[in-house]
Amino acid sequence: MSKTEYILNVNGKSKNIVSSEDKPLLYILRDEFKLTGTKLGCGLEQCGSCAVLVDGCKILSCNRPAIEFVDKEITTIEGISKNDVLNEIQQSFKEFNAAQCGYCTSGIIVSLTELFNKKETPGKKEIIESLSGQLCRCGSHASVLKAINNVIKLRKNND
Amino acid sequence: MINKYKINTGASVKDYNKVSDWLSFEIPNKIKISSGKVDIGQHISTTLALICSRELGIDINSIFVNKLNTDTTPNEGITASSLSVPNSGTAIRSASIIFKKNFLDFAAKSLNLNINKINLEDGVAKDPNSNASISFWDFSKTEEFLKLSIPEIIEIEDQKNFDHSSHVETKFINSIVKGEYKFLHDLRFDDMLHARIVRPPSYFHKFLSINNAIHKYLKDHNLKLYIKNSFIAVLGNDEFEVIKSLNRIKNSIEWEQVNKLANDKIFNLIDQNSKDSLIVKRGGEAFNENIPEIKSYNNVDHKTLTSEFNKPYLMHGSIGPSASCSFYKNGKFIIYSHSQAIYALKSILSNAFNLKEKNITLHFMPGAGCYGHNGADDVTYEAALLSKEFENKYVLLKWTREDENCWEPYGSASKNKLTATLDKNNKIIYWSSEAYSDTYLTRPMVGKLEYFVSQRFINNDFKKYKVEPRTGAHMGIHRNLDPIYNFKETRLVKNLVHDLPLRTSALRTLGAFANTTATETFMDDLCIEANIDPFEFRINHLDDNRAIDLLNDLKIQMEKDEPTENGFRGIAFSRYKNSASYCAVGVELTVSDNVEVELKQAWISVDAGEVAFKEGIEAQVEGGFIQAASWSLYEQVNFDNNEILSKDWDGYKIIEFDNIPLINTSVINRVGFPYLGVGEAVAGPTGASISNALKRALGERIKSMPFSQENITKQLLG
Ligand code: FES
Ligand code: FES
Repeated sequence: MSKTEYILNVNGKSKNIVSSEDKPLLYILRDEFKLTGTKLGCGLEQCGSCAVLVDGCKILSCNRPAIEFVDKEITTIEGISKNDVLNEIQQSFKEFNAAQCGYCTSGIIVSLTELFNKKETPGKKEIIESLSGQLCRCGSHASVLKAINNVIKLRKNND
Repeated sequence: MINKYKINTGASVKDYNKVSDWLSFEIPNKIKISSGKVDIGQHISTTLALICSRELGIDINSIFVNKLNTDTTPNEGITASSLSVPNSGTAIRSASIIFKKNFLDFAAKSLNLNINKINLEDGVAKDPNSNASISFWDFSKTEEFLKLSIPEIIEIEDQKNFDHSSHVETKFINSIVKGEYKFLHDLRFDDMLHARIVRPPSYFHKFLSINNAIHKYLKDHNLKLYIKNSFIAVLGNDEFEVIKSLNRIKNSIEWEQVNKLANDKIFNLIDQNSKDSLIVKRGGEAFNENIPEIKSYNNVDHKTLTSEFNKPYLMHGSIGPSASCSFYKNGKFIIYSHSQAIYALKSILSNAFNLKEKNITLHFMPGAGCYGHNGADDVTYEAALLSKEFENKYVLLKWTREDENCWEPYGSASKNKLTATLDKNNKIIYWSSEAYSDTYLTRPMVGKLEYFVSQRFINNDFKKYKVEPRTGAHMGIHRNLDPIYNFKETRLVKNLVHDLPLRTSALRTLGAFANTTATETFMDDLCIEANIDPFEFRINHLDDNRAIDLLNDLKIQMEKDEPTENGFRGIAFSRYKNSASYCAVGVELTVSDNVEVELKQAWISVDAGEVAFKEGIEAQVEGGFIQAASWSLYEQVNFDNNEILSKDWDGYKIIEFDNIPLINTSVINRVGFPYLGVGEAVAGPTGASISNALKRALGERIKSMPFSQENITKQLLG
């Protein structure tokens, strides 16, 4: 397949990319932007490890060609904290040690960032929907749920 | 009151008895801990740092754990069997105690002061009356420090009951939440080759030929193909091109199927196939002795019950597929691996490649959680082999999702058959328990290269190797077969079944998950028969006070929480290997009209000896609970005569966020008792408590895992 040239905007930085047309966003992030926080878990859109935000909405990056995302704002886990200040979800994950091996954690935080950007205090159903397809094998779920409740509690207290 | 007690400094100190083997002070104001146990998400690094921090009164942030590699860190063998804190934790604690004691003597002498007058803060001993001071870092430069050795037994006075209530941030969480934590998969070297294995359809496919047209494609895409007999790999600088080529290459290969996978009625095969049967005696060792018949008792004064429990093949199913990176030049290997057994791999690779051990260095780098012997060792061997063929280049080999699902060694399918007799007083006077399964122990070993999955393809050697039964206490198949209860007479039999279809090895808890589930579900059947409360019935058969305390603790916890409408509860308990942590689990679940099981609440009580890191223990047991709940409710490796069918997450369902109950964990702190490993204690009681709650919900014991809609309906409809 022939190579194509395009510009991608990731975490506020634009970069000229030359790649095959079908190269998925995940590999561009890891190879060209050297952003390895987004993980390859299945390459089949089944596990959620590769989740990133595109214009604020979660997408799975392991299969969809990067050229689909020209002219969009792409945010990876590395771009979620601003100037080294963690967002409230990352902060809460820290306070509850909400990761074991941590391989699944980027995707989970990305999903929750989308959710909490859209909903001030999401309900149980919305949380579960947001995390549907985000697999974790270490069983960090219980601590993740505690961290989520903490974010909700803090937001409610700030009302 | 001053308590005195003794610490047995343990197995690791036997081999590394110098304080300097474990602690070093090269960087001012920092302490470096060395351990041979790898951090695979079980928070061992944080636990060890915390132990050292408490003993030496140094802030945990000033303590870091040495990066593990086979050249410089202590060889503590494999990171498995819940031994990391018992071995490494005890060693670090002992080293810290000896260090501090000797430091204080040294400081007293140097400052010419009575020890009691010394003011010790942040590793600096001060004379409160002058400005004179001396630090840990000063002491570490002395000859005396280098000579400090750790005795087998240490006596401690004045045991401090450390505060476990405040939050301790785990070592890597900050970089994990920022996406900066580096996994092996993220390695990058100049001109590095990415590699993937071109897998055949099954264990029994031999390479015949490849369509020559593929070579043009490979050339156009800057890819290299490596073929050795039936072992085939593709390599290139661009990872995506390598992945993309896989299907095309597979489609251009002709394979010969030299054998079929045995038919898929696995529980029939377990009954029919040849086996080695051994007697397991109290204490948990197995012996090659005559197996007695099951005793029978009259029905007048006794009640005899039987039970059977089936568990399918389960996969480790790591979220990040196994990976390894290897570099070979001038007869030397540098290898990055996330194996639990990097020291063993060094010896195995030295033997396999006919190189001196000193020419092989393995660096541990994190992978995704592995939960036992998954593909981590195989991929390391394969990466080493490829790097030797592509000298002077780093080769980063990653398994695909399909590789991980189909080629890892599974936790074996198994069957348990039990018979027990109650006397008139509802005491169990006879207990027969038989475990049947394939081996759980094919971890790599020197001289056993066939344990690497690719070896058969490298040599075109498709014969089946027979494994020998292991006899040590609580080894694989008979782990926790010996019940902790005080039954008057037991008949325990381990059956190693041969010629079963799928590749198996160590999956978290080995045989203990099935054996504990079988034991504790049968205990429940018996207590229902006896019409006695499940806590009371168990306690009636226990002499061990820690076990009794634990059950009482669980009972109190469960009574505190309101029952859910239409919820059913079950409990179960065990002590892992009858020597590690005690763990009791309570579960409450509902079953919907269309037979879907929803977990509502769970309670865990755990006694892991003296608490080293409370949040670490909670994370381990809660994570273990969730994984075992997933095994119990959803998981099963599917296969047919030709191939494994559970190739991806659609073909192998695991638990998700929609079925995580509210979990309450109670950690009993046994100050002054040895640290007990905790990573595996919860699994068996989880499986059994779910089954026990289900029995109360359905009125019937579901005999086969997973307790899925399909299996439950099948059994209920007969
Ligand atoms: S890697 Fe994209 S969903 Fe699994
Ligand atoms: S924390 Fe290991 S896979 Fe989720």
